[in-house]
Amino acid sequence: MSKYIPQEEIISDKAMSDKALAEQVATLPVEMTPERDLWSGIERAINHKNQELTINKQRKLLMPSAWAASIALVILMSWVTFSPSINEESAPVLVETQEKNGVTQGQLVNFMQQNFKKQKQTLLASYGQPTVDKLPAAMQQELTQLSDARASIRKALLTDENNADLLNLLDFTQQQELKLLQQLYRQYQVI
Amino acid sequence: MDSQIRQDKKVIDLKARFSANKDHYSGDSDDEQLWITEAKQGSQAAFYQLYEKYHRRIYALCWRMLADKDSAEDVCQEVFVVLWQKINNFRGESKFSTWLHSVATNVVLGHLRKHKNWLQRVFSIEEQGAGVQDPSVSLTDDSTLTLLDQHIARLPERARLVFVLFAVEGYRHEEIATMLTMAVGSSKSQYHRARSLLKESLIANGFVSIEEEINHE
Repeated sequence: MSKYIPQEEIISDKAMSDKALAEQVATLPVEMTPERDLWSGIERAINHKNQELTINKQRKLLMPSAWAASIALVILMSWVTFSPSINEESAPVLVETQEKNGVTQGQLVNFMQQNFKKQKQTLLASYGQPTVDKLPAAMQQELTQLSDARASIRKALLTDENNADLLNLLDFTQQQELKLLQQLYRQYQVI
Repeated sequence: MDSQIRQDKKVIDLKARFSANKDHYSGDSDDEQLWITEAKQGSQAAFYQLYEKYHRRIYALCWRMLADKDSAEDVCQEVFVVLWQKINNFRGESKFSTWLHSVATNVVLGHLRKHKNWLQRVFSIEEQGAGVQDPSVSLTDDSTLTLLDQHIARLPERARLVFVLFAVEGYRHEEIATMLTMAVGSSKSQYHRARSLLKESLIANGFVSIEEEINHE
């Protein structure tokens, strides 16, 4: 491969020797062949980089959505926590505070009952007065059970109107029924 | 001083001829333009064609600058990975081969900086004098290399880099100084140092045995 510098060039003087070196440099091969196959590694790295690029792009797209979702969630949580809602309007608070307000237990039960009916009417009106019989059978059964439970508690309160646990239980049952109705009609809005 | 200038001019003339040969070989053909366009659009098949055409040349550059086969292979791969990422930056203002060589040079220098920083942290090695090799030390037995390449590989790192960039790759000392973050004067002196060491090394290893020949005669 390599060539010897002609001795005459080297012997004569330093300048010739430099020239000979330069000529040797000019004969250096432009190409060399690597021993191992380099392409497979390059291909792997390229594909990996492409994947990273795709993931980064997706992340860039997801970030605003994630922020928006987080903000919406915070707003929703704040609204649920601080705004008066169906859940908070009634009984635990009423039950706890009724003694302070000088309301008798019987009056309270009636008030709770009326309040519940009003909320239920409002709720059903907001969904266009749907009929329960169009709900799936299982749901209808669950609503019936809750209604029965409510009736049983009311009945028990007639004999033991000072029972705070029963009052709380009535309130709880009413709220559960309202929640269930809300969920069901949201889910089956076609009804 | 004048003789020095004349010598440099001779080297530059030879380099120009060498570069002309290279350009003739690597002229941007229509095929190449197509491969570049397609590679920019994400075609790996087109990119492979560019790799096939240039990887041996880039490997040679890596080998000469790094003087190590394994590192040269790794860095050559890195060059093409970087090329894949940066090919959209090629606007055709220069020959593709010229642009690719500059990309490759930067990747090699980046590799050396990383490697050197690590070495310096671990061993506190100073380059001055550390890379100078005894000219009589036997050369690598890699038969695929030209004798001159084997001698270039034995040069100290800075001298080798300057020599390869100036004498083989055709960069100007001003460009080399910027690339290697050194003064232009340092680049020139490293080049002369490399040339002297090369001649000394070539003589010591049988390339030249002037005195012996004279004595024999």
